[in-house]
Amino acid sequence: MMKKKKTRELLKKIGLYSFLFIGVIISMFPFYWMFIGATNPSGQIFSIPPNLTPGDHFFENLRNLNESVGIWRVMFNSLVITLIFTAVSVFICSAAGYAFAKFDFKGRNAIFFTLLLAIMIPYHVTLIPLFKLMADLEWLNTYRAVILPHLSYPFAIFLMRQNMKAIPDSLIEASRVDGAGEFRIFFRVVLPTMRPALAAVAIFLFMFQWNNFLWPLVVMNSSDMYTLPVALSSLVGMSRIDYGQIMLGTTISTLPIMIFFLLLQKQFISGILGGSVKE
Amino acid sequence: MFKRKMAGAFAGVMLVGGLAACGGGDDDAGTDNGNAGDGDGEVSGEITVWGWNVAASSMELAIEGFNEEYPDVEVNVQDIGRLDLYDRLTVGLAAGGSGLPDVTLIETDRIDNYVAEFPEGFLNLSEYGYDEYASEFGDAKIQATQNDDGDFIAAPWDVGPAAVFYRVDIFEEAGVDADSIETWDDFVEAGTTIKDATGSYMVPIDISADDALFRMMLNQQGAYYFDDEGNIDLTSDEAVQAMEKIQELHENELVANVDGWDGTVTSTVNGNVATVPFGVWYAGTIMDQAPELEGDWDVFELPAFEDGGNSAANLGGSDLSIISGTDNPDAAYAFVEYFTTTVEPQMAALDEYGMFPSLLSTYEEDYFDEESAFFNNSPVFRTFADMVEDIPGANYTSDYARAFRYASDAQASSLLQGQSPSETLRQAAEQLENETGRTINE
Repeated sequence: MMKKKKTRELLKKIGLYSFLFIGVIISMFPFYWMFIGATNPSGQIFSIPPNLTPGDHFFENLRNLNESVGIWRVMFNSLVITLIFTAVSVFICSAAGYAFAKFDFKGRNAIFFTLLLAIMIPYHVTLIPLFKLMADLEWLNTYRAVILPHLSYPFAIFLMRQNMKAIPDSLIEASRVDGAGEFRIFFRVVLPTMRPALAAVAIFLFMFQWNNFLWPLVVMNSSDMYTLPVALSSLVGMSRIDYGQIMLGTTISTLPIMIFFLLLQKQFISGILGGSVKE
Repeated sequence: MFKRKMAGAFAGVMLVGGLAACGGGDDDAGTDNGNAGDGDGEVSGEITVWGWNVAASSMELAIEGFNEEYPDVEVNVQDIGRLDLYDRLTVGLAAGGSGLPDVTLIETDRIDNYVAEFPEGFLNLSEYGYDEYASEFGDAKIQATQNDDGDFIAAPWDVGPAAVFYRVDIFEEAGVDADSIETWDDFVEAGTTIKDATGSYMVPIDISADDALFRMMLNQQGAYYFDDEGNIDLTSDEAVQAMEKIQELHENELVANVDGWDGTVTSTVNGNVATVPFGVWYAGTIMDQAPELEGDWDVFELPAFEDGGNSAANLGGSDLSIISGTDNPDAAYAFVEYFTTTVEPQMAALDEYGMFPSLLSTYEEDYFDEESAFFNNSPVFRTFADMVEDIPGANYTSDYARAFRYASDAQASSLLQGQSPSETLRQAAEQLENETGRTINE
């Protein structure tokens, strides 16, 4: 009896693990393939049967890539833009979310409703007017033209508001009674309890800005101001494409996202779990 | 009370959060500081040129020669992805001309569309005297770069004479003589022999998304999506005949249905197909992506529909336009004129980057007769150059992109669902009529 149960458990485990293993292979293979492409000369990725071993063209691809787009400069642009954007935007969105969740002021619901409507406006509709605004301000080809327009991100505000609703009013009241100012309450009491939500929003905003393509493409004029996606896209010409360079560039561009995600992963997961438990 | 005020301010400020100040690179927005009106006739200043990939590199090559003639003009070439360039061009023109360069590369089949959309967007080159070069280019190129009034809106640059790239080794294995293929019927016959002997398909086609072969067949017969008056011409005998031929290729299992550009390149490299009928620019792609196939490729002219019929056709090509909002039209024109009408930069672009010139006087260069080791020691560029003057003109019109989509749909229905081409093309023509208001040629 006991033995049978044990075998069944074992089989279950084998089944589960092989299932997960297949999942890992499926999700990791594209990354591996990208890495292979990055270390081989251009035509190699078209060979049949596919070549699955790393090649020796890594440094040559890197040199070519740096010659074509100045990869380090472009990487620097992307990092500066994304990090400033993420930091400022997380602050703005959580503050706005806090106000919507915990303060009762005139027109709150109307403003919040307008905000939700804003989520529905397609990105492309705002492109031309926004571009004209940037041109009139003479902000084209600057970091601020990329950073500023999306700082207040409706979805992030919505997410923060929903999370902030869970904070007990009594906690805030108690802080007030203790004589804490509103900013002090926000920074010392509210934000620390929101860490999982903040991490989720930060990852979300980081990915949004890191992958943002159309807007930086339109406002950044000179190649030394390009962000990574824009620079990589410029590698795709008419009929002659160096896939080795593109694969290497793509590999480099996924690294920061991976690092950022791994750093915040713990917070992120506890954020997901946090939502599933009701006290 | 304080609470309320505070919160209102909070939410308000956050909503217009864009006002927060941020540091950033303070590069100059416009790079132009035109001073064309010097009075002494000297052209000087700074101009920006947009292009993509090898075309941009080609223009960069030309700067040195240009500066020998115009030492006071500084040219900045920016390399932007092809589709990215159009996005930026469209946004810039729609926003009234901000953030645009002085000169831009534009594909031949897109010119009409941009001119129709932004009639004031581009400089009339004829006003600057470009007409004097009208006899220097083939008719097809002239028709495509002039507007309805016969004024040059773009300066002709590269052209895409089309031919059939083929695998010498596969043909030999199947015992097929490439020179004996004169008509599309011969082509189908050769394809069947090759398929039986080697298993390779004859042509790669992205059946539901690209109709390049159809367009080449139309063009060589002097037809296209639209006639010279701009009426829809998809139901013409030429169009039906072309689509039927493609259907025949497919029914004989000679078409490899590939996925997009990458799919075409893949089957080119791995021997899945024995031929690729394409524009001359594909030579560079083959050499880049399949260096190990050196000597295994060669080129023969497109088959014709009847013995001795015209075989020349064009696929692709691009030209240079000047944005009308430029601060320095004289310098921009000087560059465009130098680049497109001087043999030297055109030959450098061909030699370094495979950009095939449309300037007829370049074809007198010995370079065209050189034998290419990659292409089976044939003088392939001469083959292409000889075609250019025979390429019939095509009226792309402002609805080119729509026609392209419907023609590709018609191709998909004809090949994948086996419907009759005269029917699918009729449907395509009717949809196009609905969408554009143009009339169908009966």
